[in-house]
Amino acid sequence: MSFQSRLTCLAGCMTACLALVAGAAFAADSDTAKLTKDPKNWAMQAGDLNNHRYSELKQITSKNAKNLTVAWTFSTGVLRGHEGGPLVIGDTMYLHSPFPNKVFAIALEDQSIRWKYEPKQDPTVIPVMCCDTVNRGLAYANGKIFLQQADTTLVALDAKTGNELWKVKVGDPKLGETTTNTPHIFKDKILTGISGGEFGVRGRITAHDINTGKVLWKAYSTGPDNELIVDPNKTMTWTDGKMAPIGANSSLKTWQGDQWKLGGGTTWGWYSYDPELNTVYYGTGNPSTWNPRQRPGDNKWSMTIFARDLDTGMAKWVYQMTPHDEWDYDGVNEMILADIKVKGKPRKALVHFDRNGFAYTMDRVSGELLVAEKYDPVVNWATHIDMKSGRPQVVAKYSTDKNGPDVNTKGVCPSALGTKDQQPASYSRKTGLFYVPTNHVCMDYEPFQIEYTAGQPYVGSTLSMYAAPNSHGGMGNFIAWDAGTGKMVWSKPERFSVWSGALSTAGDVVFYGTLEGYLKAVDLNGKELWKFKTPSGIIGNVTTWEYKGKQYVGVLSGIGGWAGIGLAAGLTKGNEGLGAVGGYKDLAKYTELGGVLTVFALPDR
Amino acid sequence: MCTRIKATLAVAAGSLFLAMSGLSPALAQAAAAAPYQVSDGNKVDPHTLSGWRTWRALACERCHGAAQEGMVGPSLVNSLKVLSKDQFKDTVLKGRIDKGMPNFDGSKMVVDNIDNLYAYLKGRSDGAIQPGRLQEIGK
Repeated sequence: MSFQSRLTCLAGCMTACLALVAGAAFAADSDTAKLTKDPKNWAMQAGDLNNHRYSELKQITSKNAKNLTVAWTFSTGVLRGHEGGPLVIGDTMYLHSPFPNKVFAIALEDQSIRWKYEPKQDPTVIPVMCCDTVNRGLAYANGKIFLQQADTTLVALDAKTGNELWKVKVGDPKLGETTTNTPHIFKDKILTGISGGEFGVRGRITAHDINTGKVLWKAYSTGPDNELIVDPNKTMTWTDGKMAPIGANSSLKTWQGDQWKLGGGTTWGWYSYDPELNTVYYGTGNPSTWNPRQRPGDNKWSMTIFARDLDTGMAKWVYQMTPHDEWDYDGVNEMILADIKVKGKPRKALVHFDRNGFAYTMDRVSGELLVAEKYDPVVNWATHIDMKSGRPQVVAKYSTDKNGPDVNTKGVCPSALGTKDQQPASYSRKTGLFYVPTNHVCMDYEPFQIEYTAGQPYVGSTLSMYAAPNSHGGMGNFIAWDAGTGKMVWSKPERFSVWSGALSTAGDVVFYGTLEGYLKAVDLNGKELWKFKTPSGIIGNVTTWEYKGKQYVGVLSGIGGWAGIGLAAGLTKGNEGLGAVGGYKDLAKYTELGGVLTVFALPDR
Repeated sequence: MCTRIKATLAVAAGSLFLAMSGLSPALAQAAAAAPYQVSDGNKVDPHTLSGWRTWRALACERCHGAAQEGMVGPSLVNSLKVLSKDQFKDTVLKGRIDKGMPNFDGSKMVVDNIDNLYAYLKGRSDGAIQPGRLQEIGK
């Protein structure tokens, strides 16, 4: 290198450094993380950056939970599936609804509506979301409320007035792209994803400036290295018992031709963020189509845990849970960050309960695979995860690829709903255990050849689902899990899938909702302490907050989402196609559509 | 032979239903000319088979249910007793957007198979064709 070029380089570096400093000063951190540290608030959908869904509040305890009573209720005026839950910051609650995605700011003092916002959306988005017009809730930062609308518009509202501050579109519903996820506020950025794995969408996440909505980086799940934002030499993955670089074209070489362009790997789950490592964690969904014969290869990086640098989007490590998916086992479920002992050794861990029925404990710093065990004993599609290769050992008779198109592969457990879907688990910082809402459902899966048409369904498989055979007859369990050993601590059977996000508290109470519509409180041994029948089936997530010295617990009820749909698919049993013994007809005995937030507290003494 | 008898029986039952419910003679006539052939409930003519394949490929069961008995979308077993063939085609191709029914005129498979799709669903509605997988008569 010549003197001249060194000088130029130095000058260049200085400019870059100055720009960096200016950038850092300009982009101030959000107040969100700080707000979550006060347990009186519920300032993020998961309560905190780690996806813990845990509260330090302890006015409601395992001793007095039996006295819980309704404090107030609020109807969203919308039917169909209500996922997610309210945010509470100070004296205000912010609540969302499914499509048309209303937003309410509610005064906790008298439950009056401070403001209401309803976006204008093209109704053609509804059928593209078919049959799932859910929304998983709002985000808050620096006096702004963020809504990720169904039509892929990300909008920022003034938290005081509800006035629109900025809007940006992250997808195109005409191509089958929609959005259902909550936006995630990490440090100075807002991150969002995309849905549409059944329409041949190409999954990605985008990071935006909180103040303007401007896209800062965009990272795809499939495709060339630069669009994945990976470094072939530095982005690591679990390989042959150790971490190794992913190498060049890691995604492209696992797809036939340009199938990666319709590759799926959508990103509608619950992300988490470790401020010390400045790393964001999230999972990617199924590869498109559901007919595995049509897309030979591992289909990377669908079904993958991504660890990315928040500032640049650069992937630090990746881990693909279900290479070449044959069952629709999306990898989008929440990434829970917990500092726990794993096999006796303290670790900065990431714990993930995958749709495929295995619970993974990873080292979130390095990406090493530490534990991978079934969290429902009926899981049968793979015997185990080979800890050296990190790959599932697939059982031939449950391989829908080996059996091929137009062959009905029967008795696969779990069903496409997964042993758990998006309904997020809770991690108790007090007990060190994970409390997990699960499905106990198996399926028959018959893939078939399908052509891609933009904006049309690109599924390519017929499914029927039913309660796990030779078990307790129910379609769900609520379990306690030790992620350090990969062992179940207890399991409480439920009649239907538990499709509600759990909450654990310092008062030694764990809450979850059921599809019949019960909000339940159990103690740390899974013993039921209390239940209350809300107006409709619960697929929302339980939250808690404190206002004027009183602890409240709230949950949205409103049956729908894939829980309702999935159970409806249970109309057919085996190959008869006529058996009316499916779960859905049973569910109709217990509940109907609705859309109500029910809030509970202990009675005044 | 068996096919004919079954289809005729189904049609007879259909006509009876229509007569009893006092629907228009035009509809009754449409039903009289059964657009499908079926044997043993699950073996159909090639056109009707294409109709079923179209139903499956466009994932109609996501809204209308695996047995067409309705979920988020209405029961087609019922709807096909009321809709004329033209109304059916209109609904599928143009959609009922406000109700959540997409327009399928962008799908070549649907456009090419709209008559076949009608035949399949009419057979389901008449009770002549069973829900689930079908095969071609004589194969």
